[in-house]
Amino acid sequence: MRVPIEWLKDFVDVSASPEEVADRLTMAGLEIEGMEPFDNDVVLEVNVTPNRPDCLSILGIAREVAAAFGLPLKMPETEISGNPPVSDIRVEILNPELCNRYTGRTITGVSVGDSPEWIKKRLEKCGIRALNNNVVDITNYVLLELGHPLHAFDADRLQGGMIQVRKAGPDRTITTLDGLERELPEDALLIWDERNPVAVAGVMGGEDSSVTHETADIFLESAYFEPASVRRTSKELGLRSESSYRFERGTDIEFLVNALNRATLLMRETGGGTIHEIVDVYPERYVPAKVSVRYSRVNTLLGTALKKEEMLRILGRIGLRTEDREELFDVYPPAYRRDIHQAIDVIEEVARLHNFGNIPVRIPRTALSDGILNRRDISVNTIRDAMRKAGLTEVINYSFMNPADLDLLGLPEDDVRRRRVSVRNPLKQEDSLMRTTLIPSLINNFVYNLSRGMRDIRLFELARVFIDTGAHLPTEEMRLSGIFFRQDIPSIWKDAVPAFFMAKGALKSLFEETRVTELSYIPAEEVFLHGGKSADIMTGDKRLGFVGELGPGIVETLNLKLQKPEIVVFELNADMLMSLIPARMTYTQIPRYPSIERDIAVIMDDGIPSARVMADIRGYRYDFIAKVELFDHYKGKNIPEGKKSLAFRITYRCNDRTLTDSEVETVHQHLVEHVLLKTGGELRT
Amino acid sequence: MDELLSLKTAFLEEIDPVTTLAELQQIKNKYSGRKGLLTARLKALSSVPPDQRPLYGKTLNEIKDFIEETLGHKELLLKGREKEKRLLTEKIDITLPGRYTRFGRKHPINQVLSEIKDIFVSMGFGIEDGPEIELDYYNFEALNIPKDHPARDMQDTFYISDDVVLRTHTSPVQVRVMEKRKPPLKIIVPGKVYRCDADVSHTPMFHQVEGLMIDSDISFGDLKGVIELFFHSFFGKGTPVRFRPSYFPFTEPSAEVDIGCIFCAGKGCRICKTTGWLEVLGCGMVHPRVFEMAGYDPEEHSGFAFGMGVERLTMLKYSIDDIRLFYENDLRFLEQF
Ligand SMILES: [Zn+2]
Repeated sequence: MRVPIEWLKDFVDVSASPEEVADRLTMAGLEIEGMEPFDNDVVLEVNVTPNRPDCLSILGIAREVAAAFGLPLKMPETEISGNPPVSDIRVEILNPELCNRYTGRTITGVSVGDSPEWIKKRLEKCGIRALNNNVVDITNYVLLELGHPLHAFDADRLQGGMIQVRKAGPDRTITTLDGLERELPEDALLIWDERNPVAVAGVMGGEDSSVTHETADIFLESAYFEPASVRRTSKELGLRSESSYRFERGTDIEFLVNALNRATLLMRETGGGTIHEIVDVYPERYVPAKVSVRYSRVNTLLGTALKKEEMLRILGRIGLRTEDREELFDVYPPAYRRDIHQAIDVIEEVARLHNFGNIPVRIPRTALSDGILNRRDISVNTIRDAMRKAGLTEVINYSFMNPADLDLLGLPEDDVRRRRVSVRNPLKQEDSLMRTTLIPSLINNFVYNLSRGMRDIRLFELARVFIDTGAHLPTEEMRLSGIFFRQDIPSIWKDAVPAFFMAKGALKSLFEETRVTELSYIPAEEVFLHGGKSADIMTGDKRLGFVGELGPGIVETLNLKLQKPEIVVFELNADMLMSLIPARMTYTQIPRYPSIERDIAVIMDDGIPSARVMADIRGYRYDFIAKVELFDHYKGKNIPEGKKSLAFRITYRCNDRTLTDSEVETVHQHLVEHVLLKTGGELRT
Repeated sequence: MDELLSLKTAFLEEIDPVTTLAELQQIKNKYSGRKGLLTARLKALSSVPPDQRPLYGKTLNEIKDFIEETLGHKELLLKGREKEKRLLTEKIDITLPGRYTRFGRKHPINQVLSEIKDIFVSMGFGIEDGPEIELDYYNFEALNIPKDHPARDMQDTFYISDDVVLRTHTSPVQVRVMEKRKPPLKIIVPGKVYRCDADVSHTPMFHQVEGLMIDSDISFGDLKGVIELFFHSFFGKGTPVRFRPSYFPFTEPSAEVDIGCIFCAGKGCRICKTTGWLEVLGCGMVHPRVFEMAGYDPEEHSGFAFGMGVERLTMLKYSIDDIRLFYENDLRFLEQF
């Protein structure tokens, strides 16, 4: 809402600087978002909250300025004297629940033309273009000044000399002022003449009955339309106007005659003509609500110690009539303050006008909460930290997904990740699904960074995915996903590790940090992963997630201009991971007896998984085996084609005595034979 | 006697130019070895005339002590020098870079979120969580925003269906918590929220932290106290905090909270649009209607709620001028935090 200071002064003699006025209004809840110099004037840009339609006018703002500075409010002249002729237009309201008051008057013999400079200037300051039509300009002028929307009809175009207020009913169209023919919702409230709709009530007038330079007689409307109805209609028509904006927030049913008269007088002043008697149909008179408030409630809720008289004086400043009743006081809000209808609304006004800054600061005396940092928060923090320490940088992506992503991954039709939730009104088509997996987002992040020259790209994201299960709300599950890529990075200390094992190692640190054990890796069957370089991570027979290199198909689609890039992704069910984190950790005694280490290197078929050999060793019957580590994996020179060498270091220890060398030697020889038997391999010497 | 003194002189002349431990060993053998000159003199002591013997013996012992002490010193010196020489050959270029595991970074939004959580947890608030895809009822109706309410315009909503939305704020969680638990309540709800809006200062998804405190005697003064405490922890003690009236359908009285501009110390600059103040948080006393919807008696309980945008606070904290940077996930941006 734009408010020129010069116009404001028509209603309140404020001598303070525009900055001071802006500050007081801001602190009264009418935030000044900008101040714009305009000729010799300053225009305030006021942000009016939806609960204060009374401030959508110069007069409304003036009322607040008057209250803030303790100045009187000057009301505009709206008396029409003399004995005007009776109006020849009849008014009938058929839907009083949507229109509780309709007033209007005919003005005959008006000359329509340019408005005077001062009107044009003020409209311009408020951002409204003058239209070379004083009648329309004046309805706009009064709308800005008094906040009540008016509409002017060409009276000669109203058939049958009558106005009807009633709903559209089925199959009704109207051509509105903007020249568009519109289909009307059945429930839309319309203004009709004897036969046809001539306006969409409170939203926009019809083209046929609009005031033009040929118009001689006008019928000026000032009515009260139900906010919800106007809002619905304007929304359904996709048609917003200065009028609908005010009607849908609530206008002043008592003051609308003043607005009508103000406009009438201005029209006569600028275009001459004869004023007719007002027609006023007002089915049910407005009765001010009575709101009772306990004095003590005001102070306990605000934390203040205001006296009775102070409260009543404060409320009087904005024109609220009050009545003291011992413990209570009653408030009768005027029709322009329909937002005040319960005690809390009155308390808010007291707080606002007393000034929030004057309410003393207090530290609450209240019981401790039983929530604090719950286990889940702690787990989430641990996971984030573990990933970070494993060298991955955290990303946050929008929760949206491109429908094309599901096909990029090539997910089969029955894959659970195809059970997606769609957004009905997405900003763009690429963002129209809710994510069922984080992998596409991470691939995007990778491509983005790669194309900007980055060659060490290790990212992770912890976020929810949304799976449609047919229930009212979808299932929301946490996923921990990541992407690994490192290529052509010159480094002084060499340590080339295949991307798969970098990712697997990062997951290893995650599991160690979260104390999640007993996981196994089995070949994965994800269609978008490299069949030979991917694994499902299992806990028992449940799948925690997967890790693997992106398959050649998808890599080709990405068109990366890289030689055989190794891009590894992983995705874990973070909720499941968190459920695996042990709630309690217990201490194990430090070994009291020394240990002895022996190595074993075996050449075996390349196809034997190292984990199987490891399990064979671990499972060997001697409980002297305290630890087994794989420390070498070798193929190449000195090893036959199709074979590999694996070397393990075995730590022997007994918990209740010191083992002797010969004892260990015997056990180790048995173990070596066992391993050779199991693997069908031979010792590497 | 003279012969003894010349022995000492000869020893000194011999030891002076010695530079290696091997040479030193030779001299040691020559003088104090089992067949050395000193040993020979000691053995020959009996052949010295008895009247000269005490003086001769005393002098000989003095010379012996002197020679052994000098040999000892020289040995230490030479050993030190040899060690130095060896270390010199093992010298490395200590300016070469160390081998290190580069840690990744936590997203700045989550860093600031953690900081906000820590501050409220230290004040005794618990942390709650709820669905991001929410029923219209919890997102709007239960928060006193019925259909056809103009306040729905304040939030551009993504719809899944007629009555399911992407939550536009984290406030619905407050309602869910109120339905399950009785006061006193002290909770914050951090999380992602969605609005269909995108420009330099808006992204369709962003993060919010909402807070709620309900008990039998919570006043607007308490609200001011908690919010002030928070901003003093977050932006530093002495940060000016002001409350001005505003409107939210689920609180009344409602307030916007401004802090004194941290870029110009309140003098007025481009970022604060010359006002000297930065809007950082919305809050208010929980509306009686919200209590009624949740089954609380508004006569018995009072409380406050607040909500802040994490992106906004992060942008202020690190002087970031474009909100979209948070979601481009450019490593050159992320690695700065
Ligand atoms: Zn500033």
